[in-house]
Amino acid sequence: MINKNIILAGVGGQGLVLTTKLICEAALKAGYDVKSNDVIGLAQRGGRVWGSVRIGKKVYSPNIPPKSGDILLALEPLEGLRWSGILKEKAKVIINISKIPPAHVMAEKEKYPGDIEERLSKKYDVITINATDEGKLLGTPKVANTILVGIMAKYLDIPMDIWEEAIKENVPSKYIDTNMKAFKKGYDM
Amino acid sequence: MKTKEVVLTGNQAIARGFYEAGGLVAASYPGSPTVDIMESIKRNYDEIYSEFSTNEKVALEVAIGASFAGARAMASMKHVGVNIAADPLMTFTQTKINGGFLLVTGDDPGMSSSQNEQDNRIIGKFANMAILDPSNSQEAKDFTKIAFSLSEEYSTPFMLRITSRLCHSRSKVKLEKREERDITGFNGDLSDYCMVPPNTYKKQYVMKDRIEKLKQAAENMDINILEEGNNKDVLIITSGLVYNNLKELGLDISIYKLGMVYPLPIEKIKQLAKEYSKVIVIEEMMPFIENELKINGIDCEGKKYFSFTGELSTEDIEKGLFSAGVIDKLKYKENDEVKTVQRLPMFCSGCPHRPVFDILKKSRKKVIGDIGCYSLAALYPLEVLDTIISMGASIGILKGMTKALNMKDKGEPLVAVIGDGTFFHSGMPGMVNMLHQMEDGENMTIIILNNGTTAMTGGQHTASSGSYAEEDDMNVNMVKLINSMGFDRVKVVDQFKYKEAKNIINEEIKYPGLSIVITTRPCALKFKIKETHFYVDPKICIGCRSCVKTNCPPILMKEYEGFDKLKSSINSDMCVGCSVCAQVCPVGAIKRSE
Repeated sequence: MINKNIILAGVGGQGLVLTTKLICEAALKAGYDVKSNDVIGLAQRGGRVWGSVRIGKKVYSPNIPPKSGDILLALEPLEGLRWSGILKEKAKVIINISKIPPAHVMAEKEKYPGDIEERLSKKYDVITINATDEGKLLGTPKVANTILVGIMAKYLDIPMDIWEEAIKENVPSKYIDTNMKAFKKGYDM
Repeated sequence: MKTKEVVLTGNQAIARGFYEAGGLVAASYPGSPTVDIMESIKRNYDEIYSEFSTNEKVALEVAIGASFAGARAMASMKHVGVNIAADPLMTFTQTKINGGFLLVTGDDPGMSSSQNEQDNRIIGKFANMAILDPSNSQEAKDFTKIAFSLSEEYSTPFMLRITSRLCHSRSKVKLEKREERDITGFNGDLSDYCMVPPNTYKKQYVMKDRIEKLKQAAENMDINILEEGNNKDVLIITSGLVYNNLKELGLDISIYKLGMVYPLPIEKIKQLAKEYSKVIVIEEMMPFIENELKINGIDCEGKKYFSFTGELSTEDIEKGLFSAGVIDKLKYKENDEVKTVQRLPMFCSGCPHRPVFDILKKSRKKVIGDIGCYSLAALYPLEVLDTIISMGASIGILKGMTKALNMKDKGEPLVAVIGDGTFFHSGMPGMVNMLHQMEDGENMTIIILNNGTTAMTGGQHTASSGSYAEEDDMNVNMVKLINSMGFDRVKVVDQFKYKEAKNIINEEIKYPGLSIVITTRPCALKFKIKETHFYVDPKICIGCRSCVKTNCPPILMKEYEGFDKLKSSINSDMCVGCSVCAQVCPVGAIKRSE
């Protein structure tokens, strides 16, 4: 597999750190060099958070250089839009379209952008899903990110059994089955 | 057997390194970016005694004690934490080292979660410590182990300087076995450990001598690595993550990568400098290495091309090298600019700080802030706090401001807010100090936001956690403590009884002396509220936005079918049922679901 630069973007409390870890561990098991960044900052909920994973034969910096992102995993649409500037042309953008309004929108000072999919589709290959609702159908909205990872897995050269092993080792034991279903749900989309 | 390889963050790798080095005692005070060093030790290594101490000074002293007893000991803290620990540190570094000693400092170039950007390499040198600077997780682990052996060999305390990016960055690490070590016990000569004159006179020479010896050792140390390129025009000297960001450019260039950034292998660099027409130092924040080289007469450049503040990304380095004439074209284009709505952090759903700051905002009084989640009250849309400086500073500032205003007849009611973690950390001396020359007419109100945890760093315990969590071993009774200090006007409020809390806080603000209000609700993130959610009845809602102004994540104005005006709404997935919005609603439109 040639080097892949994955950017993750979301809102504090959405489980971005665990998702980053899951991707890193799957990449390591598949024999790649891997480096990641997690959001560095505060523990509170509601702020913008982001992470990055770089996978390849040899990775120096954990930071994705400008215009070098291959895949954007948007756990929330507005955050996906915010980080899209780092992507290559025709990059894959996978979006959970369930919105979380920021404070300025809550206070009616600004409007939540209504054209995110449209704007991103002009430049990138966009895949959208309401992963929060799909997760609820599987049992819990907590597996939303795993559905997105399942969609992304089709674009990475990491075998299915390795993803399964990584999921088993990284999610709470009572949620393993639901996460497996969530991953397959995304993968089969 | 094949060596096990895993991916670890820089923080986790330091914890692993301490474990493999046979470390016995580790202490810290939680502060981003280094919190997870101690968390990782607690999760993974039962062989190590670890504690989150009440502040960094105590953490350092706990580690010093263990080192005196012959154990390998580590204290870890964020960069500004070292300021708190600086008093024991500056004197401890004069003593003889028995068990290896490591101070881990988490510097924060770019200030992703800090109140300043101080470069602690300066403190390391100031304190006569040797400083290691890892560039990835493997080195974070390896350098931790090297620090302990060198600390013992050269009888010198070591500093491991790591930056926030590396603390949280994952990369591959090869695991090794723990080295089990016995301890010698404390049998030292008192002149090596009692730091009073005349014992301290000779220690100045001891410190100078051991740094000299380490400087000699640095000349051939295998963590200082020379990578020779074909191009002999330029030699780059760098360290830490910056090295990897530089490597990302894929240049044919010579690099001298320093693992130990103090003391430096000056003779080696002098020799190298003769072979190249130009030496360029690339380092984040202050020109530390650059200045060391210049002091030693080595001609070099650095900050002329690279920013003195923030992180140095690959593209920043590329631009710097371009302006230095080292490269003649730029590989990286700028990211596409995406303009959109900003997103600021906010109090969690059910956060016990929300009603307090709603009440304070309505009071329109000046509020002296402190360090914790409640620092967020300085941001939009609350914008309630007027000053934030450092841990525990609110109390002293409250007193000084009040005194000065009153001396010129400009007194006004002032409020200070401080959390329990910050109170125990360094607010207590300020509290006792309040008792000096208390005069009538000094209208001060201190609100202690006692949420039972160090919330901002992820919910570590504080000295009063025991009242909320039985498993916590510390249970200081905040009210009894304040009373025994000698304060008699102390009010305890349940801030989820909004109206009652509002009345009490406003009464105390009005009271023309010093009063202390202690809130009682625990952190909503650590001690989850599991009540049924609330909903808005659009038929009753008048669209006044009183609930929206509490700035709670699930509350948003929306269009309802059959209504012209926007009405409030509550996202049931996010609401935890704290009831504050229902209590601020003037018409009873917000109801609890069955």
